[in-house]
Amino acid sequence: MPIVQILANSLIRAVELGLLAIGLTMVYDLLKFANFSHTEFAILGAYLAFLFNVTLELNIFLSAIGAAILTGFIGISLDRAIFERLRGVGSVTLMVTSFGLAIVMRNIVRAIWGADIKGYAIELQRPVKFLGARMTPIQMWIIAIAALCMVAFHLLLHKTKLGKSMRATSDNPSLAEASGIDTVKVIRWVWFISTSFAAIGGILIGLETQLHPQMGFVLLLPVFCATILGGIGNPYGAVVGALALGLVENFGLYFNFGNIINLGGVFDLVGEIYVPTSYKPVISFAILIIILLIRPSGIMGRKRER
Amino acid sequence: MGVLSFLIYLSIMTGIYAILSLSLNFQYGFAGLVNFGHVAFFCIGAYASTLLVMGGVPFLAGVLGAMIFAGIFGFLISIPTAGLKEDYWAIVTIAAAEIVRLFFLNEAWLAEGAFGIRGIPQPLRALFSTSTYPAFYLGMVLVFLGITYFALRLLTRSPFGRVLKAMREGDDLPRAFGKNVLRFRMKSMAIGAAFAGLAGSLFAHYITFICPWNFMPIETFIIWAMVVVGGQGNHLGAIAGAAMIQVFYVSTRFAKDYIPIEAELLASLRMVIIGLLVVLFMIFRRKGLLGEKKRSYRLSGEG
Repeated sequence: MPIVQILANSLIRAVELGLLAIGLTMVYDLLKFANFSHTEFAILGAYLAFLFNVTLELNIFLSAIGAAILTGFIGISLDRAIFERLRGVGSVTLMVTSFGLAIVMRNIVRAIWGADIKGYAIELQRPVKFLGARMTPIQMWIIAIAALCMVAFHLLLHKTKLGKSMRATSDNPSLAEASGIDTVKVIRWVWFISTSFAAIGGILIGLETQLHPQMGFVLLLPVFCATILGGIGNPYGAVVGALALGLVENFGLYFNFGNIINLGGVFDLVGEIYVPTSYKPVISFAILIIILLIRPSGIMGRKRER
Repeated sequence: MGVLSFLIYLSIMTGIYAILSLSLNFQYGFAGLVNFGHVAFFCIGAYASTLLVMGGVPFLAGVLGAMIFAGIFGFLISIPTAGLKEDYWAIVTIAAAEIVRLFFLNEAWLAEGAFGIRGIPQPLRALFSTSTYPAFYLGMVLVFLGITYFALRLLTRSPFGRVLKAMREGDDLPRAFGKNVLRFRMKSMAIGAAFAGLAGSLFAHYITFICPWNFMPIETFIIWAMVVVGGQGNHLGAIAGAAMIQVFYVSTRFAKDYIPIEAELLASLRMVIIGLLVVLFMIFRRKGLLGEKKRSYRLSGEG
C-alpha cells in the first residue's frame, strides 16, 4: 500500500477519534473523572441520526445536526440526573457510575434498534484519486466536517466569554465561582459540547463504516488511549494523541518488524514479520502501556494557561 | 429441566460467581483497585485448567495451575499501573481483558480459537451417575467457595488487610508508616486474580465447553454489579450480591415463557436493569445492601 494511502487512512481515523477524545478530555478535566459512558454517547448520536435519516427519511446533514443537538441535551440531562448528585464524592464512584450508565445506554440502543448492522441512506461511494490516495467523497466530507468542528472548538475556547469561563473553571473551580462565573452553567455547556461532539464523531464513523450497538465499547480503548497519549485535560493534546494513534495503528500493520531483528538487512535471522490484522485493537493497548511506563502525563502534559 | 436440577445449576453458577465477586471485592472493596477487566482472570483460569487437565494433569493440580497463571497475569498487569491513579487502573484492566480474549480467539494452535474446547473432563465423573453428578459438583463448588471466603476474610483481618484498607483511603498514611504501597497493590491484584482463576477452573469443568465468547467484557460488569449491590468491603455482601444478581439474571431467561418477548430484546432489557441498579446504588446507597462493618482495634496489652 502506498504511503500516501496509509497517511490518508490514518488521518480519517485520527479526526474521528479526535472528536471523541476532545469531549472525553473536557469532562475529565472539569469534573475530574474518566467518563466510561463517553463513547456510548457517540453511538446514541449515530443511532439518532439513523432514526432521522432512514426512518424519518431526512437529509443526512439535517439528521446529523439534529442528532448532535439532541445528544447534547441528553448529555446535560443525564449529568443533572446522575452525575450532579455525585459531585465531590471521588473519582472512583463517578467512574463506576459512568460504567453502569454505559451499559444502560448500550443496551437501550440494542433494545430499540436491535443488534444487527445498520447503515445510513447514502449513495454508494466510489473512491476517487486525491493527492495520490484513493478516498471516497464521504471520507473527504468526514475530514472536512471534523476539521471544521475542531476549528470551531478552538475559536469557542479562545474567542468567546464562554470559552474563557470554561478554561477558568477547569483551572480552579472555586476561584472561578468567586469571580462571578456561573460554574453550573459552564458545566452544562461542557456536557453539551462533549456529548454532541461525541455524537458527530459517532455519526462520521457510522458514515464511513456501519452501525452496531457494540461500537461504543470498540471505541472505548482507542479514545482513552488518544486522550491519555495527549495528556488528560488538554483538548489540543487529545487531537495530537488521536493523530499519533491513527498513524501508529495504520503504519503498525504495514511495518515489517523482521527488519528490526535483522537490523535493517545486516543479518538474515528472520523473514518478514507483520502484526496480524486481527490484533489491530491490541496496538492501542500496547501504546497505552508504553506511555504509562514512560510518561503517564502524556506527550503534551497538562497545559496551564493563566 | 426439572426443578431440582435447575436449582442445582443455579446454585453452582451462583457459587462460581460468588467466588468472582469475593475476589473483585477483595481488590476493589478492600484495596481500592478499580479493576474493570476481572473477566480476564476468569478466562485465564478456565483455559489454564482445561489445557492442563486435558494434558493429563490431575484436577486439583489444574485448579492450582489456574490460580497460578491468573495470579501471575494479575501481577504482570499491575506493574505499569501500580504507581498510577485509579483511572489508569480502570482503562488498563479493561484493555488487558480484551487482549486476553483476542489472544484465545486468534491463537487457534493453543486452544481451538473461536471454536472453543469441547469435552473438558470432569473430576471424579466416573463415580457418579448423570443425575447425581451435579449434586457432587455443587458440594465441591461450595467447598471452594468456603475456602475462598475464609482465606480472604483471614487476609483482610490480618495486618496486611489493614494496610490495604488504609491504602484505599489514600497513599499518604500507609506511606508514613513505611509501607511500600506499590507492592501491596501488586500483591492484592495477584491474590484477587488467583481466586478469579479458581472460579474459571470450576466454570470450565462444570460447563465442559469453553470458548472466547464466554468471556466477554459484559461478564466483568455483572461481577461489578454483584459487588456494588451486595456491599463493597463486606465478604458476605459480595456473596449476597452474587446470589441476587445471578438469580435475577438466570430467572429472567424464563420470562419469555410467560410474556411474549423476543430473546434479543429480553437480553438487552435485562442488562438495562442491572446497569440501572448499579447507577441507583451508586447514587442512593453507595455502601451496598450490607456495606462494610466498622472495626475497631484495641492496642495489644490493653484490657
